[in-house]
Amino acid sequence: MKTIILKFIAVAVVLLSVITSCKKDKTEDPVTPSPTPTVVQKGTVTIDLSHKWGFSNETDFVLGTDLIHPMKKDTLNFTKLKYYISNVKLKKTDGTWYTQTESYHLVDLSNTSSLVISLNDVPVGDYTDVYFTMGVDSLRNVSGAQAGALATSNGMFWSWNSGYVMLKAEGTSVNSSTGSFAFHLGGFAGVNKIVTEKYVQFAGNNLTVTNNHTSTAFLQVNPGWLWHSAPSVSVLNTIHMPGTDAKIMADGFFTNNSFVLDHIVE
Amino acid sequence: MKQIVIYLFLVAFVVSCKKKTVEVKVYSESDRWGFESPSHFPSPDYQFANNEQTRLRFELGRFLFYDTLLSSDNTVSCATCHAQSHAFADHNVKFSKGVGGLLGHRNAPALSNLAWYPNFMWDGGINHLEIQPLAPLTNPLEMNETMSNIVAKLNSSSFYKEKFKSAYGIDEITDQKFFQAIAQFTSMLISSNTKYDQYLTGTTTFTEQEARGLQLFRDNCAHCHKEPLLTDFSYRNSGVESTIVDIGRELVTQDPNDKGKFKVPSLRNIEFTYPYMHDGRFFTLTQIVDFYSDGIQQSSTIDPSLGNGFHFSSQEKLDLIAFLKTLTDYYLIGNPDFSEPKR
Repeated sequence: MKTIILKFIAVAVVLLSVITSCKKDKTEDPVTPSPTPTVVQKGTVTIDLSHKWGFSNETDFVLGTDLIHPMKKDTLNFTKLKYYISNVKLKKTDGTWYTQTESYHLVDLSNTSSLVISLNDVPVGDYTDVYFTMGVDSLRNVSGAQAGALATSNGMFWSWNSGYVMLKAEGTSVNSSTGSFAFHLGGFAGVNKIVTEKYVQFAGNNLTVTNNHTSTAFLQVNPGWLWHSAPSVSVLNTIHMPGTDAKIMADGFFTNNSFVLDHIVE
Repeated sequence: MKQIVIYLFLVAFVVSCKKKTVEVKVYSESDRWGFESPSHFPSPDYQFANNEQTRLRFELGRFLFYDTLLSSDNTVSCATCHAQSHAFADHNVKFSKGVGGLLGHRNAPALSNLAWYPNFMWDGGINHLEIQPLAPLTNPLEMNETMSNIVAKLNSSSFYKEKFKSAYGIDEITDQKFFQAIAQFTSMLISSNTKYDQYLTGTTTFTEQEARGLQLFRDNCAHCHKEPLLTDFSYRNSGVESTIVDIGRELVTQDPNDKGKFKVPSLRNIEFTYPYMHDGRFFTLTQIVDFYSDGIQQSSTIDPSLGNGFHFSSQEKLDLIAFLKTLTDYYLIGNPDFSEPKR
């Protein structure tokens, strides 16, 4: 009888321990009255990038077509154009900011879905500018394996000299001595750093975000600015590492008026 | 009876908290693994940020390190050129063979204490442990693969799908997790248990000759081969040739002052990692010691600390070599945790 009781106790103890040992340590919230939650109304903003060519964006930029550069007069036929836009922010009329987290976008002209940057949960209100970084901020160039747009499988990270290829433009040209061109632009530190802060104003025509609604800013992007200060492809047809050449070429596109507002749809 | 109750209680306690999704292989208490910085080492550079260390991740990294799947024709693995029996250097060849027997241009370095390195490769071109493998994986003379193809191959392998699922909880394998898994393995290749280390920590004594060798080393070599990792991670022209053939670090920095400079290699396991120098030109310790004694070749970027050589006597050379042999880490070479895993 004594044994049976002991066995019973043993089983009970075991069962009890199974139950209690897995209980999560909960810190109960004290019963203080929570302030009335203020529901922030939010909407979505999309930035739609449409690539253009010519002095005044008069023609469409299309891969695989002959495009004549308005200044250099080179005939360029692009097979590839990719570049990074990161850390997208919106500036509100009241001086506050909307900042997208983990904001890295690889714009790839061969992938139409990459031409629309979507910003979710933007507080309602009127916004005056969109700010973004051309390229990839220096921290992500030195922080090991990254995911998403920054994954090495996108082919935009140098294997032998760590750092992102922040812009890749490749194609053919009768003006090039080799018949082709390949510009891989990067550089995240030092004098040849090409990472550039950029903004586009919604000038006098604020972008209004309303609750549960999508507002779109249509921007025109002109890659012809790459040759603003860089020489003709007859002189320079290849860049494959950070340096002065990459800096001059990237600056042309990253720092000038290469992104302009076309219109806003709210 | 009372003992049985207590026993059952303990078993229940342990069993009831075990995660149900993952079958964890049970390792005994004596299995040394998790990353620990040896007490006589400086603090490591790699911090496992976003890559918390677990045994499963380490084991996954180990499978990847030994898998030829990662090369374009499935013939070359990391271990092909980084063999444990050679302290994770290649099999005593000047240059390593990649896919199709193609030869590389620089001697494959021995791997140890990688978690302490701020940069990787002879020219320091790579800035992070996790992405170091990108270079050999994609180099046409080495493994000749693309990252997108490696990711595709891994995702079509049920073995790796299951391994990544249990180690990282992911259904779709990404190159980020792939790199992090390899870093779990490579960061653990710690060499801290040589006779030299035991001497430093006071658990063994040196012979008179080894002690003389250590003193010579400290007087002449430790300036660059900084103790206890035996490298200061700097880039220097060690004077192997007067006409620079391989520009070395200049390729990365574009600075002519870096012409012919290479990373100061650690001397750990030097006994087993010949041939030496970036181009594998010296095959014996005697050749190396003779070179630094009287063979320095002058050039514009020569390291000033080398002067015109150290002019060691023949006895000093023997003493130095005796010391260099205390840098062999039989624990690293013989650790079964680092050997080729069985599927």
